[in-house]
Amino acid sequence: MQRKSIACIILTLAIVFTVALALIVCQPSGVPQKTVVVYTSVDQVYSEPVFKDFENRTGIQVLPVYDVEAAKTTGLVNRLIAEKSNPRADVFWAGEFSQMILLKNQSVLAPYQSPSGSDIPAQYHDTEGYWTGLGGRARVFIVNTDILKPADYPHSLDDMLSPAYPGRIGIAYPMFGTTATQAAALYSTLGYDKAHAFFSNLSERGVRVVDGNSVVKDLVVSGQLDYGLTDTDDACTAIAQGSHVAIVVPDQGAGQMGTLVVPDTVALIAGSPHPAEGKVFIDYLLDKNTENDLVKSGWIQVPSRNVTTVIPCLNGTVIKPMTVNYQDIYDGVEMTKTDLADIFVR
Amino acid sequence: MKDRIVPLIRMRGCITLSAVAGTLLLALAVLIIFGPLAGLLFELARFFGAGGGGSALAGLLTGRRLVLLIQSVGLAAAVTAAGICAGVLIATALWRRSRAFSFGILLLVLALSLIPPYIHALTWSSAITLFNQGLTTIGAAPLPSSGWLVSFWVQFMAMFPLAIFLSCIGFASVDRTLVEVARTVRPDSEVLQKIVLPLAAPSLVAAFGFLFVLSCTDYSVPSLFGSDTYALDIFSVYSATGSAGAALITALPLLIITVAVLVACRSGIRRLAQTPNWTVGAWDNPPVVPGPVRLFQEGAFLLLGLQVVVVFSGLVYATGSWAKLSSALAFSAHEIGDSLLIVACVIAIGIPLAIVISRELLLPGVRGSLWWGLILLPVAVPAPLIGIGIISLWNNPAMPVLYGTFLMPAFAALSRFAAFAAIILYVQIRAIDPALIDAARVFSRDTVATLTKVTLPLLAPGIFIASAVLAALTLGELGATLIVTPPGFGTLAIKIYNYLHYGAAAEVAGLCLFMVAATLVAGVCVAGAVAWWNVRGPGSRCKKSVMDHD
Repeated sequence: MQRKSIACIILTLAIVFTVALALIVCQPSGVPQKTVVVYTSVDQVYSEPVFKDFENRTGIQVLPVYDVEAAKTTGLVNRLIAEKSNPRADVFWAGEFSQMILLKNQSVLAPYQSPSGSDIPAQYHDTEGYWTGLGGRARVFIVNTDILKPADYPHSLDDMLSPAYPGRIGIAYPMFGTTATQAAALYSTLGYDKAHAFFSNLSERGVRVVDGNSVVKDLVVSGQLDYGLTDTDDACTAIAQGSHVAIVVPDQGAGQMGTLVVPDTVALIAGSPHPAEGKVFIDYLLDKNTENDLVKSGWIQVPSRNVTTVIPCLNGTVIKPMTVNYQDIYDGVEMTKTDLADIFVR
Repeated sequence: MKDRIVPLIRMRGCITLSAVAGTLLLALAVLIIFGPLAGLLFELARFFGAGGGGSALAGLLTGRRLVLLIQSVGLAAAVTAAGICAGVLIATALWRRSRAFSFGILLLVLALSLIPPYIHALTWSSAITLFNQGLTTIGAAPLPSSGWLVSFWVQFMAMFPLAIFLSCIGFASVDRTLVEVARTVRPDSEVLQKIVLPLAAPSLVAAFGFLFVLSCTDYSVPSLFGSDTYALDIFSVYSATGSAGAALITALPLLIITVAVLVACRSGIRRLAQTPNWTVGAWDNPPVVPGPVRLFQEGAFLLLGLQVVVVFSGLVYATGSWAKLSSALAFSAHEIGDSLLIVACVIAIGIPLAIVISRELLLPGVRGSLWWGLILLPVAVPAPLIGIGIISLWNNPAMPVLYGTFLMPAFAALSRFAAFAAIILYVQIRAIDPALIDAARVFSRDTVATLTKVTLPLLAPGIFIASAVLAALTLGELGATLIVTPPGFGTLAIKIYNYLHYGAAAEVAGLCLFMVAATLVAGVCVAGAVAWWNVRGPGSRCKKSVMDHD
């Protein structure tokens, strides 16, 4: 008898469920006719104002999907690959370039050369026009100024191995995010042996490896680390918040290799549902004024073109970028990540 | 006679219809909960088809991975064991406290459980730094700020609230009449040792399994303190290869261990024969525990107090002011609304599904065992892989309507968490005395009245608890939601993690405080609903009518 009673409950709940489902599915979406779906790994706090401004200017509604650092770059890129057969996104706006090359190789992207990007230097363009870069961020040291005096600031990545710094140094896991991209750039520039030795030594001397660039920043700000390697946007945020930290751009001297600059990239998705609106968005994003706005908001510290905004946290420092080939870096990313997992995850 | 026949015909009609509805719901449960696994298997087959399987399988057997696996399992086991021990101490200490106090503690720990582990880690990291500064000032050696010991401590403290909550549920499942009978012939300490703990053991073992899985699959806390775990390596492989198949193969050893632990716990739950009373209060004459145990109980309360102080002071300090809190809420109104919508959807769909599954779990033999094995499988699969499985299944031209709607994050949460709701309802259904239902059936002329006045009231506590658990877990879900959230949609968890990266400590802390406050308010509402139901609502009428007929 008990089972019969439970069956009756199921009937009632099934009705409730069916009605609820029908209401959910049939609810008016309220979506205007012109929309563009943008997947972005750029922080919401920076990308959202751009979307709002685009909506105000064009009347096209942006439906964004944001990524988070905690997903360890396994979020939107893998979603785009998984959705490849039936794409839902129109545009992917990434905070770096290696993911974009991966997506191109996976046939997720469609070629589109925006007229707005014609004044962007050639190194920011994919040779086949699948993606375009704009300004971006640089890899820098963030230093706690309460702990280290200017004379003691590190000036090169090699300083991280120096006995002068007894160990309160931090980096993010080099298998993920821009730290992985920088590691791949080092493998590409220095060669496997030197780069492998560098990271092995880092690991052996007990450099603190943490869960993301923002964590490096948090730990330096709170004085738990003397200094760490992070992105300019993280470091500039800390400075803007009044934290007792300074930015040091590594390897800027004569004969030194410079630091990695990681540009934003944007691309149209192949077979996207709203390609025309997608192109309008890409044109808007690659416009010089939008890049200037992104510099102003604090997302871009290394613009691709001359913009009017001055970046306060860098004090007018001109960053010497590392000379790299994006394709070479991408080609080495998988091997680098596997090698670094062997070194650091144990 | 005619009066008797009509309800019987009605009841048969109802049974036929309900059987159809039940079968449909079961099919839906299979689709929603196991569909992502089918999608993942498809991805795996594609991965093997592309020739990547051999090398991925060979990579499983490296010494580095074995060490990582042992470390991860060791940490998870230690954290879980310590959590359950401390939880048991608090749960038993609550016997001596008032019902209101116990209820307050339960609400508090449920609310604390909602705070992302990363927030626990950051607040503890700051607390340890502050403490070390104090030690350095007085010339003492500072405590280690990284390594396995700190990882254990912080993960233990992050899991502690949930461990208390689950332990309390475990002890609530002990039939007090049995204990009272034993107390008349044996001293309390012996009764505790030989009656109470063995009776609560199946539930505590189940709690152990749940916490073990959570601990094993979390890498955020250990990695902040420089301890590497196997879960991090899975993400590392996924990040390097971009292949769900490769990640799934890498996850296999951890998957096997977690499923084995859950299946072992399942035997405990299945043996659960007592009548659970979720709303159990304080004892009139609580058992007296030995002095040393009482000391440990007070120590456990101190730990809880420490956790509350560290986390809340950290959050309040980071939030800064009411103005910042209200601006964080106003700025996240859209995400709060979306999160609540998903939670409502998960409960509306999840509870009926959990009821049909719990009925399957009750079945003896192979079918029941198969359901136990299957239902626990999605719990152990890494969250992003569940998301990829959902895309594989739902994002195809044959199912164009649902993909891209907010049902997808709801389905992700259901796939990951429906098992918990099903197990709660399984325990609740087992607890219903069939005599009550039979009495209602014999004497009631109206099936609907039987349903609303007897059966539903009897199931209601389990439904409330299952809904609360589903809501809490869904609110904090990130890994799978991120993969399937529809364009233009956002959840509170995504916002929190997004702002965490930006360094908006005030906003993040404000949103965490909101989640805690919302849980407390929801908990009070649920408790009020249960109380009303039992005292003045259908629950009381149910008991009264059954007693009248008796």
